[in-house]
Amino acid sequence: MLFKIEKRVQAPATIKIAVLLISLAAGFCFASVIFLVKGVHPVYALSKILSGSFGSLYGLKETVTKSIPLMLTGVGLTVAYRGKFWNIGAEGQLLFGAIAATWIALKYGANMSSYAVIPLMFGSGFIGGALWGIIPAIMKTKLRINEVITTLMFNYIAAEFVQFLVYGPWKGKSQWGFPYTDNFPPSATLSLIPSTRIHYITLIIALAVIAIAYFIIMKTNFGYEIRVIGDNPDAGKYAGISFTRTTVVIMILSGGFAGLAGVGEVAGVHHHLTYPWTISSGYGFTSIIVAWLAKLNPVYVIVSSFFLGGILIGGDTIQTSFGLPYATVNIFNGLILLFLIMGDFFLEYRIRLAGRRL
Amino acid sequence: MAKLNKLMVCLAAVGLVFIFAIVSGNADAKPEKDSAVALAQPKKLKAGFIYVGPVGDYGWSNAHDAGRRYVQKKFSWLETMYVEAIPEGDVPRVIDRLINEEKCDVVFTTSFGYMDATIEAGKRYPKKVFMHCSGYKQDKNVGSYFAEMYQMYYLSGLMAGALTKSNKLGYVGAHPIPEVVRHINAYAIGAKEVNPAAKVYVKWLFSWYDPARAREAAESLIAEGCDAFAFTEDSPAVIQVGKEHTEKGKQIYTFSHYSPMQRFGENTVVSGQLVDWGVMYEEILMKLHVGSWTNDDMLWFVKEKAVQLGGEFGQAVNPRFIDALKAKTVNDRIFKTISVYDLVQKRLSQFKEPMITFDPFTGPIHDQKGNLWIKTGERGGYQLLWTCDWFVDNVVGRVK
Repeated sequence: MLFKIEKRVQAPATIKIAVLLISLAAGFCFASVIFLVKGVHPVYALSKILSGSFGSLYGLKETVTKSIPLMLTGVGLTVAYRGKFWNIGAEGQLLFGAIAATWIALKYGANMSSYAVIPLMFGSGFIGGALWGIIPAIMKTKLRINEVITTLMFNYIAAEFVQFLVYGPWKGKSQWGFPYTDNFPPSATLSLIPSTRIHYITLIIALAVIAIAYFIIMKTNFGYEIRVIGDNPDAGKYAGISFTRTTVVIMILSGGFAGLAGVGEVAGVHHHLTYPWTISSGYGFTSIIVAWLAKLNPVYVIVSSFFLGGILIGGDTIQTSFGLPYATVNIFNGLILLFLIMGDFFLEYRIRLAGRRL
Repeated sequence: MAKLNKLMVCLAAVGLVFIFAIVSGNADAKPEKDSAVALAQPKKLKAGFIYVGPVGDYGWSNAHDAGRRYVQKKFSWLETMYVEAIPEGDVPRVIDRLINEEKCDVVFTTSFGYMDATIEAGKRYPKKVFMHCSGYKQDKNVGSYFAEMYQMYYLSGLMAGALTKSNKLGYVGAHPIPEVVRHINAYAIGAKEVNPAAKVYVKWLFSWYDPARAREAAESLIAEGCDAFAFTEDSPAVIQVGKEHTEKGKQIYTFSHYSPMQRFGENTVVSGQLVDWGVMYEEILMKLHVGSWTNDDMLWFVKEKAVQLGGEFGQAVNPRFIDALKAKTVNDRIFKTISVYDLVQKRLSQFKEPMITFDPFTGPIHDQKGNLWIKTGERGGYQLLWTCDWFVDNVVGRVK
């Protein structure tokens, strides 16, 4: 007996939801093993995790905070992935947004009102991320260099550059020799919704960006062009679509949106630039899953980033409530995401048990 | 389609069976509570510890957790919990959880980068107590504490300077921050005192924990001729390199860092620095318990027993190197002709005197460019040493 795998035409909505729920359940069943080994009741564990992220006002506030950078980087990736430009470099693009915003904040922040300096920071952050995104786009279109490799490697270059800045020329005078820039002046920091850590300006920008991205992808010629060059660059050429131009614009948007996330993190959370892994803590990579779960639809990014933010926040309780080691959090999150991605397979394909040899 | 539905039903069934097995099989497993806490005590205290690394790092976070376990065992009125590997940006949230959901009375935040978040948390929760490790800010309900070991690095420098054959000492450094720079300087000052020709060669890792790069750095320093190593990295990687070369016939001397690492290389570890956070946590929690806590900036040294000399607790110098250290003599202004081994012991007892009668950072001390930082007869002092971003003149390398 053989398995036969064949492509589906279009999965109905019921199947989609069923696959999602079954994937989650299967992922959790696997994760239960870890809790059982450590002597924690898995159902109790799940209820704690969910109440830690979605089930309490406190958890919800934190989940929203965490979902802001995921939303921005995630929506950027939907644009790139629709054009089949496999941007693995949102992490680096986020960092360059943070660098650009830090530069503005430290240079002009003290002498300007926040109404001037905050828009300037977001503007420069967009440009910073976009510039870092354009380079791999040009390398792909002009030199035929695989963008998976370049964007991935550019993350490390960006991280090393941040380290160079905070250990070298930008090291703060007021930071006792530690690798932090000076703290941003108050005019260059984002205000928070009282008694939360939600820097709402970035959240509003994220939602606006999602609306814009949705409009571009779904309603404009350019959105159509993105899909065409993604599916078949040659066909695009015959239709008069410039592969180079379209790819570059895709990456201006994708990198720029990630750059905005970087601005939000330095201006809303940290208030200075420091170690790259502190500024980003892997948002650029997590957002790959955000974009994928959203089925590359910008609007669904709101839901998927909120969900992933919740997974990250709920992971706290694995440590605080059960006293399990940090690694458990990563294993739990990893298993849930792995199963979600595996579940995706069943939406695209169906497996038939073939009774006879082919 | 029908086939797929069947498959889904199968999957769902498997999932349900799995869940059912879990629910029925382990229904009474609840998270453990410490039985000591259940004892009737007038005032219980719950302390939360936040670590920047995993407790298994064999360095910083591990040492803090050893301190936590020590006080947990010691005080029946104390309940403790910890969270590990918390990035700086996430610490406000974790503090909130420890206070609101886990009902901690006191929170220890054990990384420099947690400082501002700890001060802000102090304002948010004026009735709770916070202790921040390695920073310089305090508030009404926020204290700070640190165990400093530059004196031990100086003693390691004395021994390294005496033992080296090549006059080249190596140092594998984590991050170029004042704490590490200060320790390298103390090590170099010690080496210079017994061996004016000794120079310290520095390589940076830009990481607190990276055994692979620490190993590479040590190997390349050995290739440059270094034969005595101190380091700041939370693994015994440098010691393992020393052990391998020693076994091959080239004696490398190493100095253990932070946790007892002599067990990883008995033939190479001469001595080292050990930190015992337990004594500091004991003091802080006891004061909280009896109600005499104040928002001090606690800076403890070997005098207060927060720091010890050695590669294992209770053994200041590895016995197999004592003869070599006794054989080398130097002329000291006060002690006259004295063996390095005896000098180490004398200095150690000076560090333990109530009025510490010796400090390694006593002038004249020049940096690499010849600038005089500490004048003759003066001591470096807190402000200078805690912001130090220059190397003394017998260090080769750059504070980037």
